[in-house]
Amino acid sequence: MTAIAPRREDDALQLKPRRDPFLIILWIILVTFALVWIAPVVLIAFTALKSNAEVMATSAFTPPQEIAWNNFSGAWARGNFETTFKNSVIITVIKVPLGLMFSAMAAYALARIRLRFGKLLLLFFLFGAMIPFQVMLAPIFTLLNGFGLIDTYPGVILPYLAFGVPYQVFILHGFFKAVPKELSEAALIDGASHVTVFRRIFLPISLPVLAALLILDFVSTWNEFAMALVLLQDRHMWTLPLGLMSFQGQFSTDYGQLNAAIAMTVFPAVLVYMIFQRYFVSGLTSGAVKG
Amino acid sequence: MATVQVSDLRKSFGALEVVKGVSIDIRDGEFLILVGPSGCGKSTLLRMIAGLEDISAGRIDIGGRVVNTLSPKERNIAMVFQNYALYPQMTVAQNMGFSLEIAGMKKAEIDKKVAEASEILGLNPLLKRKPSQLSGGQRQRVAMGRAIVRDPDVFLFDEPLSNLDAKLRVQMRAEIKALHQRLGSTIVYVTHDQVEAMTMADRIVVLRGGCVEQIGTPLELYDHPENMFVAGFLGSPSMNFLRGKIEGQSLLLAGGERLALPSLPMAEHGGDVVVGVRPQGFSVGTQDGARATIKVVEPTGADTHVLADIGGTEITCVVNDRVDFAPGEEVRFSITSKQVHYFDPTNESRIG
Repeated sequence: MTAIAPRREDDALQLKPRRDPFLIILWIILVTFALVWIAPVVLIAFTALKSNAEVMATSAFTPPQEIAWNNFSGAWARGNFETTFKNSVIITVIKVPLGLMFSAMAAYALARIRLRFGKLLLLFFLFGAMIPFQVMLAPIFTLLNGFGLIDTYPGVILPYLAFGVPYQVFILHGFFKAVPKELSEAALIDGASHVTVFRRIFLPISLPVLAALLILDFVSTWNEFAMALVLLQDRHMWTLPLGLMSFQGQFSTDYGQLNAAIAMTVFPAVLVYMIFQRYFVSGLTSGAVKG
Repeated sequence: MATVQVSDLRKSFGALEVVKGVSIDIRDGEFLILVGPSGCGKSTLLRMIAGLEDISAGRIDIGGRVVNTLSPKERNIAMVFQNYALYPQMTVAQNMGFSLEIAGMKKAEIDKKVAEASEILGLNPLLKRKPSQLSGGQRQRVAMGRAIVRDPDVFLFDEPLSNLDAKLRVQMRAEIKALHQRLGSTIVYVTHDQVEAMTMADRIVVLRGGCVEQIGTPLELYDHPENMFVAGFLGSPSMNFLRGKIEGQSLLLAGGERLALPSLPMAEHGGDVVVGVRPQGFSVGTQDGARATIKVVEPTGADTHVLADIGGTEITCVVNDRVDFAPGEEVRFSITSKQVHYFDPTNESRIG
């Protein structure tokens, strides 16, 4: 061992891995984008904690001097949050799991049960995802009005379901198709029915996808504005995004309260994200079959 | 345990017929291996027995009961897949107990059955692990455990060893054979590996292009192949086929070389014949026999494979001695084996 010559300095330099310039550029782009996304969040957080006078006097990105907690209580009362919050919770809590369940079952059937018109059905679902809902707004209103469902929970939940299911079916179908065929065959031989295969095998292994879809769907349902605006005329049925409208007065706007209201509206979505993001673990099927 | 009768079974995918009227009688407790090259329909046949594939025509009986239209779970079979197909979110014990749980068996009874099976397969220390934490061999053993807890009438194996490395394959081969001897159950086993077929089977079914080429015990097939396909498929390295004319007691090869034959075909046969000789049936020397040119010499350690050219026909010969030939060297080949096989070159079937 003594025969080894002392390592020269340029040798040591050679050992240091060269940084890929592409990665550095990628990092710079990432950081830039992150800043663009973080800026409004910081703005909302700061403004929500400032009094109206301070909002006017200081720059948007100056931290608040005096924390104005009363923005939150003011916003809660002014935005009629008691009602809108309740409405949003009821609609989201019913719609999101129900929609996900329907989508998963439909996707399983399309991916795993041999149907005569399976491909056509899938195309039909995809077609649903291609039509922008704005186009359908007037017909939906007429339809729901005919059923007397305007200003009711089912009146919003049903169209939400209809517009949420197609893209979820599309994503879940792709995932279920990729599950090794032998896995469901093994279960069928083990005596499982399709219901059991779906519930005991497919649902557990698709947890990451389901969690992702749940978060996406929760956020989009929670924040949905346009359809709710048309379908919910009565103030007592308004959801949170509609409630935020009342902060945009004709002559004045209380920015502190508005941002406090926004913060309170966004909070549940962030909470749901935090809870379900831990299911975003990849490789749940690893070990099932030889890869 | 049960018998399985496959009668004139056919399967088409659209216009393509992949199983063309296969009939096999599988005896109670028999270890039957379906073997053949890729695309010969062996896996499709197994999947039809399992009920995973519809039957286009024909009949399958398991234990004397026609199962054509029964679902897989009603056939009381168990299947081990090539890629294991373990439920990834369940532990080894849950994987093995899944079928019993579905059947509504009590927890204590399931535990007992799983314990018995894991004892047989040496899985006890792994019961609480997930499939992702197991090695390939362990996963395959769990897949077998999942099959044996159910006491099925028939075990179906679909190339269970082809994902394992060579050493593990030899070990698992012995384990599956021992398992069969212990359980005495009927096994239908699909493989493309003729060594697996020879070593494990009670009887082998050789398939080609959706048709049965020959059914018999491993040694029957090895010693009396009914056609050139079966002769060439079983045995490693595969049998040499020499084309020529019989003149007296020797074979006149196309290149004009003569090889002395130990026996003649039973049936009188004028014209061209194909003589099949196993690689172990030659001797290589410098004195007597047909002239040949060495092409490649492959020492395996135990023996040496010599590839040579006799009058335009390439032959492989296995010699026990360590030989020292150089490529291009001229040597002389003669047949030492008592057993040579004669085939008709037109329809490739056995003569005599």
